Amino acid sequence: MSFQPVTIPISGSCPVCCADISPAGSVEESEVLSCPECQSLLVVEGFEGCSLVLREGPSVEEDWGE
Amino acid sequence: MFTLAILHSTIRTEEKLLVAAARNAGVSVKPVDIRRQVFDPRRFAPEFELALERSVSTVKGDYAIAFLEALGVPVVNSLRVARNCEDKFQTSLLLSSAGIPTPRFALVFSPEQALEAVDDFGGFPVVVKPPFGSWGRLLAKINDRDALDALLEHKEVLGTPPQKAFYIQEFVRKPDRDIRAFVVGGEAICAIYRESAHWITNTARGGTARNCHVGVEIREVCRRVSEAIGGGLLAVDLFETEGGLTVNEVNHTMEFRNSEEPTGVSISGAILDYCLGILRGRRC
Repeated sequence: MSFQPVTIPISGSCPVCCADISPAGSVEESEVLSCPECQSLLVVEGFEGCSLVLREGPSVEEDWGE
Repeated sequence: MFTLAILHSTIRTEEKLLVAAARNAGVSVKPVDIRRQVFDPRRFAPEFELALERSVSTVKGDYAIAFLEALGVPVVNSLRVARNCEDKFQTSLLLSSAGIPTPRFALVFSPEQALEAVDDFGGFPVVVKPPFGSWGRLLAKINDRDALDALLEHKEVLGTPPQKAFYIQEFVRKPDRDIRAFVVGGEAICAIYRESAHWITNTARGGTARNCHVGVEIREVCRRVSEAIGGGLLAVDLFETEGGLTVNEVNHTMEFRNSEEPTGVSISGAILDYCLGILRGRRC
């Protein structure tokens, strides 16, 4: 599994509302993002060149927490 | 060179802070998404000397710890500490056995026994919590018998098996805040007030964080809690009462994104230092 901080501009598309997602800082694989348009919870599945591969994040489950 | 694994199931702000702290310290860090692993002891070859467990899923995190500990890889926190924290009844039993102030509590399996417990506590209000759970979810302040009957009937009909174990805690009257202390190897390194007009003060539920000075009382109660739970990295939630501090809950994979700025303490750095200390100790 790769886990490299991305320092070049990178963007993707929200799988829910198709809005452009352009995170300001570095992005990691498996990182949780929020769509600025529809507020959906998204997860970074991976990278294809300078594109983020995003999928909708899972709902909070009963055993989640600290 | 040491390699530290960060076991995770999603990368949150905390995991990014931990990765950054490790990289800044020149430590080799290997994030491991536990959802993508095959935990088969015949084929899994750990490429790290120590693992820091940061799974947002308690169940998945526990299995990952159990697996690695069986392979002889040390994990922070250990399975013992994780289980002592994630089950509120177990935490309360340990605190009570150690003589550490904690609200009155009971575990029951039926509405009739729940009512007995409430009577023993001196009446309503009480708080009903799932034994397993976090972020202030599914907590209920119960002010009278009607509400108790309704809540427990809903849990019995609609709940999963763990929801049918009713953990009941006395309702503690406190200022519009509680204290969260971050404890590393028995030492309270910093603390925040979690302030909210709501009786649930979790920052996940909208509570705001403000620095709390770590005085002798916080330091001492946290030392005792750490000893009772089994050490490691803990977030200890405290209520201020007329009789002094009382320990509400203890967390083993604490979130701290809202706490580094108000306290001025690098909690991620302290966590990393603790892990490195364990690694160095094993190499000596």
